[in-house]
Amino acid sequence: MNGQEEGGSDRRTTTTPPTYVGLLSQVMSNTLDEDYRTVAAQRGAEGGPGSRPRRLALAAVVVAFGVMIGVSALKTEQDRPLALAERAELVEQIHLREQRYDERRATEGAVETEVTRLQKQVADDTSSNITLSSRLQLLGLDAGTLAASGPGISVTVDNAPQSSGRTGGTILDTDLRQLVNGLWKAGAEAIAIDGHRLSSLTSIRYAGRAITVDYRSLTPPYVVEAIGDPDTLPARLLETPGGQTWLSLEANFGIRFDTEARDRLTVPADPHDRLLYAEPTGSR
Amino acid sequence: MIAVVGLLLGILAGLLLEPAVPEPLQPYLPIAVVAALDAVFGGLRAFLDGIFDDKVFVVSFVSNVLIAALIVYLGDQLGVGGQLSTGVIVVLGIRIFSNVAAIRRHLFHA
Repeated sequence: MNGQEEGGSDRRTTTTPPTYVGLLSQVMSNTLDEDYRTVAAQRGAEGGPGSRPRRLALAAVVVAFGVMIGVSALKTEQDRPLALAERAELVEQIHLREQRYDERRATEGAVETEVTRLQKQVADDTSSNITLSSRLQLLGLDAGTLAASGPGISVTVDNAPQSSGRTGGTILDTDLRQLVNGLWKAGAEAIAIDGHRLSSLTSIRYAGRAITVDYRSLTPPYVVEAIGDPDTLPARLLETPGGQTWLSLEANFGIRFDTEARDRLTVPADPHDRLLYAEPTGSR
Repeated sequence: MIAVVGLLLGILAGLLLEPAVPEPLQPYLPIAVVAALDAVFGGLRAFLDGIFDDKVFVVSFVSNVLIAALIVYLGDQLGVGGQLSTGVIVVLGIRIFSNVAAIRRHLFHA
């Protein structure tokens, strides 16, 4: 650096045309204002030191320099507490956020445990729901609130033809009740008459020259469908009092009584599945 | 001698009187100080070289300060104020180092 700089100075004193050097080396070597040398050369010719006003200007500049240094030092010093305070506040915020982060993490852990617990509970509930719903289904089938299908028999009964001339050839509500009771006794699990499911609330009545089941009038022939073992139902039906009654009805009055096994029957649900007053004993 | 006295006087005045620097000029004060430092060390070196001149020093001082502040102001307007002030400080710093090295050689002959 030393030699380079001296070389630069030499070149400048001898007023050769400027050669282009790199920006950086130029910055490094050209550190002294050329005017000093120029003016010095001129003064060397003239001689004599600077005049008085120049001295004053120099003093003014130096004082101004001092003021600048003082003021900026003061300013920096004044700003420092501010910067420090800002920094402290930032540090505090960082700590605060870190603390909050830790808290959230802890909360997250707790929530996660809770979620796991609830999921397990849901799984348990679901499995118990499944058993519950299957149980409900069984009960619904039993009570007649659910449509049921399965093998069974279809019993078709009809009044005796008018042409036979015999009296008593009309099916009464008691006859149908006998038949239904016989079917229950024979092991039927679900029974419907002309598509009306029989539940514990279903009535079979005679009203106005027509048999009503569940308050809806039916017209003969009546089809009684019963789900159960199709192999044993017909025989067991005939052994019941109801079956005996119907056998005699068929024999004495010419009433139609046909029993037919079916592979698959479907009985609908009883739509009236709401109990308004009855409730389980012991509840409430 | 006059320079040293003036400098001390100025620093004292600046610290004690706390002259208010106009708010828009405040960002340019540090860079102006660095530029002034460059001029001062240049003058010192010239003095030791025996070629010091009052007028040249005053002119170089004032122009250094103004130009440095102006460059940074321009940079601020263009959105590159930070980079430009860094560049100015690098150049001035190199000059100050070189001048101080020359002064050192004068004083210690090393």
